[in-house]
Amino acid sequence: MSEVDHLLTKKFADRYLKREVLGEGTYGVVYKAIDTKTGGTVAIKKIRLGKQKEGVNFTALREIKLLKELKDPNIIELIDAFPHKGNLHLVFEFMETDLEAVIRDRNIVLSPADIKSYLQMTLKGLAYCHKKWVLHRDMKPNNLLIGSRGQLKLADFGLARIFGSPDRRFTHQVFARWYRAPELLFGAKQYGPGVDVWAAACIFAELLLRRPFLQGNSDIDQLGKIFAAFGTPKSSQWPDMVYLPDYVEYQFVPGQSLRSLFPMASDDALDLLSKMFMYDPKARISVQQALEHRYFSSVPPPTEPALLPRPPPKRESLNSRISDFNPQEGPTVLSPPRKSRRVMPHREGFEGNEYQVDKIDDHANERQAAGERNEDVPMSIDFSVFGSRPPPRPTITSADRSHLKRKLDLEFQHPEEE
Amino acid sequence: MAANFWTSSHYKQLLDQEEVDVVQPLDKEKGITLEDFKLIKMHMANYIGRLAQNVKVRQRVVATAITYMRRVYTRKSMTEYDPRLVAPTCLYLASKAEESTVQARLLVFYIRKIYSDEKYRYEIKDILEMEMKILEGLNYYLVIFHPYRALSQLLKDAEMNDATQLSWGLVNDTYKMDLILIHPPHLIALACIYVASVLNDKESTTWFEELQVDMNVVKNISMEILEFYDYHQKITDERINAAMNKLSLKQ
Repeated sequence: MSEVDHLLTKKFADRYLKREVLGEGTYGVVYKAIDTKTGGTVAIKKIRLGKQKEGVNFTALREIKLLKELKDPNIIELIDAFPHKGNLHLVFEFMETDLEAVIRDRNIVLSPADIKSYLQMTLKGLAYCHKKWVLHRDMKPNNLLIGSRGQLKLADFGLARIFGSPDRRFTHQVFARWYRAPELLFGAKQYGPGVDVWAAACIFAELLLRRPFLQGNSDIDQLGKIFAAFGTPKSSQWPDMVYLPDYVEYQFVPGQSLRSLFPMASDDALDLLSKMFMYDPKARISVQQALEHRYFSSVPPPTEPALLPRPPPKRESLNSRISDFNPQEGPTVLSPPRKSRRVMPHREGFEGNEYQVDKIDDHANERQAAGERNEDVPMSIDFSVFGSRPPPRPTITSADRSHLKRKLDLEFQHPEEE
Repeated sequence: MAANFWTSSHYKQLLDQEEVDVVQPLDKEKGITLEDFKLIKMHMANYIGRLAQNVKVRQRVVATAITYMRRVYTRKSMTEYDPRLVAPTCLYLASKAEESTVQARLLVFYIRKIYSDEKYRYEIKDILEMEMKILEGLNYYLVIFHPYRALSQLLKDAEMNDATQLSWGLVNDTYKMDLILIHPPHLIALACIYVASVLNDKESTTWFEELQVDMNVVKNISMEILEFYDYHQKITDERINAAMNKLSLKQ
């Protein structure tokens, strides 16, 4: 592996020794590296410059802007940033795995105390964001990274935004669909920290069930899945619902009891879950209140992070990593299989379904850019139109995200009202 | 933006006047005086404002761009970082950071429209290269707080809505000075309200006294603003050109 040898000897910014490629991030390659100043391991994201001659990637810039303001034990640390050969490089603390890998690993048993610990760390990170008026807007297990001592940290702030002015309008196309709050699915443009709480509730449920809780395959289906679980909301439960831009009436279905959905959970867990899953965002519990909920003070106490069960660190050769990566799911990259879910396809230059998705998306964007958004098709971003595509989780989330991010970039070309 | 100013990087990076008023050694060699330095920064703040009018961005983007430009020159020389490129690039970067992206080619188009002078002529690739250098110059700190939000809230509280236009204009003008690098934005807002109330002969002492702020600081900022207006009347284009020409001198 001459390429690896080459990487091994490379030191940049007079400080970092580049090691193997960890994966393809949202906007560029991620390398493992040794920080010669501290001796520690770091992850370096190389930010690809946009093809459209638009300089430093917008999403990357957003992440830099917010992470420079956010310093918390439960938020990924942006250690350094530097230009090198015309590309911007971001240096993050190195994280071993992520919560999705934990949830998916069938060899791992998560005790009630373990679940409590993971949820508590998630909410602590989120509480800090909200205290600083930052919405994460992309909460999902795969963005919750886990460090070598079990500490969980929020990562991927590429969709995050500062909120605070009550009249500020945002795009509702945020979050991977399965974690999207009902107000977003109904097209709300003015929303608040409640959207992150809903996503955190989905993560809580996923920890309990060991599978994604509400797996909709389109925005409409997502709402259907939500209503099938909790019952179609009545206007007494959520008075503002009918005024949301994309509101449509759903046939009434009764909800199921939380107890029947989560037979193994404690009463306290169910009580907290029900408060995080409140339909009306105004009635939904805040992150800070959630942390003060008796679930966290009742027995069992949350497990110490260092004692939490985690997938074993993988140590195969590069070749075996390639071989167990399913080519149907995306481009081949040198990346451990557990990282494959964080892989993003290149914007162009590879075959397969994703390419088509990209093309279709681009047309959707053009339509909107031209101001010809067809109101009869409210779900212009609805991925169900790609129904022929098998819906393996990695592809959905990554394609979803790349699409959303590009859509966001597009939207913000127009100045927003102050 | 209602994020918490006191825990922000903006607050941590506030400087003293003496730290802001440092002409970089390379610029000194070209004969740039402190006055030249301030004039060039003011000229560039105006340039950013004119560009912004053409590309139509919110005032907040202009304010952020000017703050970036002023911050860069607390650490970098004008000799190495040509203000005529730094100014449009700061606007470009600020438009991204404030979530209302302006395309670089649009900026290049309006640069040509505003200045036929070749010294101002820069291409897209120059802006994109400078963007990276400015990010570094800013140490990647991009969140900037401005007096506007505080201004609206304070005016409402003081029941001085009739002074909105005047005080808003005053706040805009403070960006011709370095105040945003030195004082918390809400104090700049208060100073502008104070100046506005004095100009309007409006009695506001009671309201100011009830606020939990150091009125001495507010009064000092107000004095600076008034002094700047006096000084501003005496600035001529020749004076600005002379300063810019010093910068253009080849060593």
